[in-house]
Amino acid sequence: MVSLVQTLILGLQVGALYALMASGLTLIFGVMRVINLAHGAFAILAAFLTFTLWRNLGMDPILSIPVVMAVMFAIGWLVYVLVIRHVRGAHVSMTVLATFGIALVLEGAMGFIWGNTSTAVRTSYTDASLSLGPLYVPQAMLITAAIAALVIGGLYLLLNYTWTGRAIRAASTNEGGALLVGVSVATVAALTFAIGVATLGAGGAMLSTIYPFLPGTHYQWIARLLAIVVLGGLGSLPGAILGALVIGVGEMAATNYLGAAWPVAVPFLVIIVVLITRPQGILGTRLREDAVA
Amino acid sequence: MTTISGASRLLDPRMQKLITRGLVLVAAVVIVLFPLSPSASAQNTVILALVLAIGASGLNIITGYTGYLSLSQGAFIGIGAYVGAILATRFPDVQPLLWAPIAGVVAALIAMLLGLVTYRSRGPAFVIITVAFLFLVQFVAIEWVPVTNGTAGLTLPLPDWPDPWGNWPFHLALVVLLALSLTMTWWIRRTKFGMGLIAIREDEGKAGTIGVNAPVYKLLAFGASALFVGMAGSVYGYYLSFVDPIGMFSIITSALIVLSVILGGRGTLFGPVLGAFIIQPVNNFANDTFGGGNARLVIFGGLLVLLVILLPKGILPTAAALLEKTRSKGTVGLSGARLNPLDRPLAPAEARPPAPTGRTLLEVRGLHKSFGGNHAVNDCSFTVPEGSITALIGPNGSGKTTVFNLISGTMTPDRGEILLNGERIERLSPWSRAHRGIGRTFQITRLFREMTVLENVVAPLRDFSVRQLGLGAVSGSEAARAEELLEFVGMSAYRDARAGALSYGQQKLVELAQVLMLDPKLILLDEPAGGINPTLIERMGDLIRALNAQGTTFLLVEHNMPFVVGLCDPIRVLARGAVIAQGSPEQIQKDPLVLDAYLGDDYLLEAPSRSVNIPVVERNPA
Repeated sequence: MVSLVQTLILGLQVGALYALMASGLTLIFGVMRVINLAHGAFAILAAFLTFTLWRNLGMDPILSIPVVMAVMFAIGWLVYVLVIRHVRGAHVSMTVLATFGIALVLEGAMGFIWGNTSTAVRTSYTDASLSLGPLYVPQAMLITAAIAALVIGGLYLLLNYTWTGRAIRAASTNEGGALLVGVSVATVAALTFAIGVATLGAGGAMLSTIYPFLPGTHYQWIARLLAIVVLGGLGSLPGAILGALVIGVGEMAATNYLGAAWPVAVPFLVIIVVLITRPQGILGTRLREDAVA
Repeated sequence: MTTISGASRLLDPRMQKLITRGLVLVAAVVIVLFPLSPSASAQNTVILALVLAIGASGLNIITGYTGYLSLSQGAFIGIGAYVGAILATRFPDVQPLLWAPIAGVVAALIAMLLGLVTYRSRGPAFVIITVAFLFLVQFVAIEWVPVTNGTAGLTLPLPDWPDPWGNWPFHLALVVLLALSLTMTWWIRRTKFGMGLIAIREDEGKAGTIGVNAPVYKLLAFGASALFVGMAGSVYGYYLSFVDPIGMFSIITSALIVLSVILGGRGTLFGPVLGAFIIQPVNNFANDTFGGGNARLVIFGGLLVLLVILLPKGILPTAAALLEKTRSKGTVGLSGARLNPLDRPLAPAEARPPAPTGRTLLEVRGLHKSFGGNHAVNDCSFTVPEGSITALIGPNGSGKTTVFNLISGTMTPDRGEILLNGERIERLSPWSRAHRGIGRTFQITRLFREMTVLENVVAPLRDFSVRQLGLGAVSGSEAARAEELLEFVGMSAYRDARAGALSYGQQKLVELAQVLMLDPKLILLDEPAGGINPTLIERMGDLIRALNAQGTTFLLVEHNMPFVVGLCDPIRVLARGAVIAQGSPEQIQKDPLVLDAYLGDDYLLEAPSRSVNIPVVERNPA
């Protein structure tokens, strides 16, 4: 029983980090119908930025979050202008290839800058944990969960209570209609992409305090993030959060009950099973796909 | 003077064909004899390029023809290599090259398993699945230690042939496999099988309604795409004499294969090969000069991005388009030609509807379909008498198109029965229904845009058999029938035009001809008169009458009341997902329920009479 509760606690905390990282991926897909295969690479980039700020300036990862988010926002905007803008409206496989190309370039570039060895940010709270009777709660994970709640809450407020948010939602529901009522869809798309990448600033910063990382780990992250958004329903923010928590708990359970090798396979199995049995995910709705194309 | 005539001679299609053949021949000779080269590293590059080319040529079948992008094609090289390596280490007395066919078959079977997945997922979902599939295969190779020896990998025996043979056996084996792969690709393109695949790429839902059994087609395509790749993989593993999970299932290999296909030109025969012979030397250069790793990632990632932005169609199609543009400069296209419906009186004026047989062709009983909480079709029942032109009318959102989708099989009902000639069909696939004689058109036309008009009309399949897959795509008797149908709808002048280039009204006529190719008993027309000009509406009415006189039954959805009243009998009126009234046009126009739900109170004041000529009202397409 204790081990079950412990698994649940750890799983939900990991899930909070996953939710933070997946929210940008699902937002970008929802608005632009672009599957950003570079999302994992952006997350690792944010982790490396945090690492540099910590090692060279002694900045605590939590304090560096605003800086990293700002930098990631700028990088997201730049990548949109340089690449994504040109493939929007192209066939979906073309946009997938473009973002895959970006992921490869980022992986190589990070290897040049930071090297291909495993890196980690070690802070005072990295190995600390709180105990509650027989249970324990790792401190870094607790802080991460709080930050995830903060950033996702902010994103929710932005989407639902600001003009920008309404413009983003309008563009995601009906691009043509949004254009007609005066929403500059191109700017909204750039903004969405940049916001989606910026949320990774927070995610990557906290990732660096919990997991070791190197440029090549982005594959593992993108697989996990894709599993999450596919499970929750591509394009749905609440779905992504739910999916993240499910995958987080599932991975912890797999580690505990099946063995350490299994969590690696969990995302891939989830992706295949979900896309075959319920392609729209838990919270997604099937688009009307019929004669009225 | 001579330069001009020289240039124009170069543009001559026959001359171009000759030049192309010459180039292919020279390239083939150079590749076959390449091991004569003294440079061992160049020999190595060509062998790797051959492996890549076979992988790309296979991927071309599913990505180029069928339209499914896969990031896991490299996995089949790895699977082939592993099958070869496992067998070679278990049976040391057998020459490892002999295991190639088995490796190919195993790869093909696993690829078909992946193909099964496409039954449920398309587009972006499928790409994601392929990535997951690749990593899952790698996971199995790592964890299934008793068979694969885990991360340590398997070491194969060294070649047992005499030294002077050098790389020749590897090289020739791969050349033969590439030749077989290209022959298969060429054969597929010119058969019904290939035509079906292209129809699936252009519009999979539509392909089903014209009788293309998409799951079987895709399954075979996936098998074909991996067969020779698996064989090449086993040769490749033997050549390296070592296989391990990290090297064999790297996503970079799959990326290089995709790059080759896109760079050379997907959907072309030689494009993927050309792409592979460009990409592989770049790959080796990056490895030798920059020590591989990061530089290689940046180069290929950057190349992928640039390619997608600057040359999305690839080298061969872009070159062909340029040549075509130069050639057709100054000639007048067909696009401006007027379509004159009065050229030829189509239906004889005395086209009388056939005598009613009294039998029911189609019956719908208690049909239900809801989307979430929205009951689009709610206990809908009606019949279509054999030999009739039955109309289904009703306000927007009353469920007409959903009923059509349920009848044609694009959707399956939640409850209820659909009977064609007394046979229950509501659980059948769209293609089985097409084979049983149901043809349909769409509210917004859905032709295969990249095919020519003639190919569009030839594409429908009246039945399914394995033998049929191998028949020529556009064979004599079928082509003749298709031309006849195009003549019938008045579109024969456009037979070689790209369907996507036609106007909306013209597309409607071609779509009708396409459906007729099925020889359907029942044709469902979704707003045949919507969004087209008055003369064309008249022509459409004539066509329907002429076909009906020959015995074809029609069920049509239409908002143009004068058109409906002049053409149809009986009429079924749909509102909120159920039939609220039915009967002859006269009865319907007076029915208070119909006036209330659809036509409106002032309808009677301007009601068209059946005896006078049909006044044609231009209406907005719904």
